[in-house]
Amino acid sequence: MTSFFQSLGMSYEAAWFTATIAGILLIALPLMLAVALIIYAERKLWAAFALRRGPNVVGPFGVLQSFADGLKVFLQETIIPSASNRGLFLIAPIITFTVALMAWAVIPFADGVVLSNINVGLLYILAISSLGVYGVVIAGWASNSKYPFYSAMRAAAQMISYEVSIGFILICIVLWAGTFNVGGIVEGQRSHIFGFINAYAFNPLLFPIAIMFLISSMAETARAPFDLTEAESELVAGYQTEYSSMAFALFWLGEYANVLLMCALNAILFWGGYLPPVDWAPLYAVPGIIWFFAKILLMFFVFAWVKATVPRYRYDQLMRLGWKVFLPISLFWVFLVSGYLMFTGHFA
Amino acid sequence: MIQLVSFYIFASIVIASAAMVIFARNPVHSVLWLIVAFFNAAGLMVLIGAEFIAMLLVIVYVGAVAVLFLFVVMMLDIDFAELRAGFVKNVPLGLLLAVVLAAELVLGIGAYQAGAVALGTPEAGAATVSAAVPNIEAIGGLLYSKYVFMFETAGLILLVAMVGAIVLTHRKSHGTRGQSISSQVQRRPEDATRNVNQPVGQGIEL
Amino acid sequence: MTDLSQYLPILLFLVVALALSSAFVFLPMGVSRLTGTYKPTEAKLAEYECGFPAFEDSRSQFDVRFYLVAILFIIFDLEAAFLFPWAVSLGETGWIGWGTMMLFLFELVIGFIYAWKVGALEWE
Repeated sequence: MTSFFQSLGMSYEAAWFTATIAGILLIALPLMLAVALIIYAERKLWAAFALRRGPNVVGPFGVLQSFADGLKVFLQETIIPSASNRGLFLIAPIITFTVALMAWAVIPFADGVVLSNINVGLLYILAISSLGVYGVVIAGWASNSKYPFYSAMRAAAQMISYEVSIGFILICIVLWAGTFNVGGIVEGQRSHIFGFINAYAFNPLLFPIAIMFLISSMAETARAPFDLTEAESELVAGYQTEYSSMAFALFWLGEYANVLLMCALNAILFWGGYLPPVDWAPLYAVPGIIWFFAKILLMFFVFAWVKATVPRYRYDQLMRLGWKVFLPISLFWVFLVSGYLMFTGHFA
Repeated sequence: MIQLVSFYIFASIVIASAAMVIFARNPVHSVLWLIVAFFNAAGLMVLIGAEFIAMLLVIVYVGAVAVLFLFVVMMLDIDFAELRAGFVKNVPLGLLLAVVLAAELVLGIGAYQAGAVALGTPEAGAATVSAAVPNIEAIGGLLYSKYVFMFETAGLILLVAMVGAIVLTHRKSHGTRGQSISSQVQRRPEDATRNVNQPVGQGIEL
Repeated sequence: MTDLSQYLPILLFLVVALALSSAFVFLPMGVSRLTGTYKPTEAKLAEYECGFPAFEDSRSQFDVRFYLVAILFIIFDLEAAFLFPWAVSLGETGWIGWGTMMLFLFELVIGFIYAWKVGALEWE
């Protein structure tokens, strides 16, 4: 893109700067649009699972529902409770949303199409997503109200519990790919199985951790069945109880942007990212970004499906699953995968 | 040019937020300023090319250690008036600690100026690494071959830390019943129910 | 050497994302003042409770178990931090590197088994 702006007669620096800003906006703005549409799609899906009709009034088939909701909250009054800590109360949604956007900087959308191609891309995603816990904790604490505070503490303990096994799962993938570069991991999956299937998930050694990663990513984003942070029967609306107007909407946007990010990570780490499913020349005629989006949507369908069908966990069950099931299994899998790769001379 | 500007921005934010850690009246604000300081320190690490260390700083310090700090200061009922009352009493101790830390800093810098330190390895001298290798691989290549002993010691320290933390904080709870998932799953309808052909007009033995 | 030009977009992204989200928070506050929806009342600004004034301090003392989870998390996070460089340098360090890491993991598995047996991972 830099060369395009250079052809308009800019100097290299100016062209680079314009191209980068354009790239950032090309990620951030469509992401927000995608979040709006995905919320609509999810409501339609749940409705279908429950044999209801879902949103169908605003616009054709109700497509504009999310935009109408957005406009409504935009015009609402921002209520800052008198007991709250004003500054932190307003900073919390900013942190949540900023963090949700930031991780997309290293996601490759097609071969070579990535905003920032760093060596430690996967660690960057891990680092950024570990910041997500602060938005929730600060929101709960700054509200100075009982339910948000309980919810924030639950959320923090839940997120850090599942981050452990996510870390070990990522190590299994990195062992196989040999790099922390996200694009490199996608390329590592080219003709991975039988020389023509482009996905780690069909590898019998990696399939179990693909499932574990999917479940952990639901827990990490506090989605149903792990949505203990906003269990409305116990905690009203969780850490968002005291929020209103766009500050409330930012938590929603951030949450769904995180869900999309986790879907994208599932697609990248286990299902071949922007590569077509099989290594067959005619399939490469379809642009990589289409494959990538198709995979993200498929993962999102799984997320919505789970949310519509699985009842909520209890908190002790959630912690048990994280610490007593996923942690030992993923640790054992690091041993298994590394041992297998050493014996087969993968690194030689 | 951009590097220089970013260095000064990051460095001044680190110093300013470190000062705010001390001056903030509310301990929760102190921890949040500490997080800002860590984050900008990670920025400084990126600037000198240590990208792996930068990411680790965020993952370990911001993502884990600061969460623990926040848990501690948010959940303890701290009486601020009482804390301030103890200030005068603890000033000498605090000053002593500050002097010790300053002395350690001077010592550390002095040792660094004196030359490379051999960390219990047969051949002395800092290892040289080719610049083309990403630094995460370079660290791995050294840590798991040359500095194996240090690495295993770190593992033992972690083990001690884990056991110590459990001994200090864990209390047996009474009066609560845990869930045994396996016995729940293993339970079959035959164990729990029984079919009775009930004659009319008679009671049933349970 | 690290390619710093790849990190500049991240810095710019941070600036843009912060600007976007701040705009989202502060613009509606201005808009609501202009349109007249901004009408705070005492009851509206009170903290949430089910129809009665809250009667206890919201910042109560918490279960010590949360600390334990956080401490265990730090330890396993550090363990993962040691695994990251190991995973990409196995080609260089070979069987020796693999063996050291397995010894390291074994040390931590001992700690994990201890935590399990003592019941530190229970949550009721």
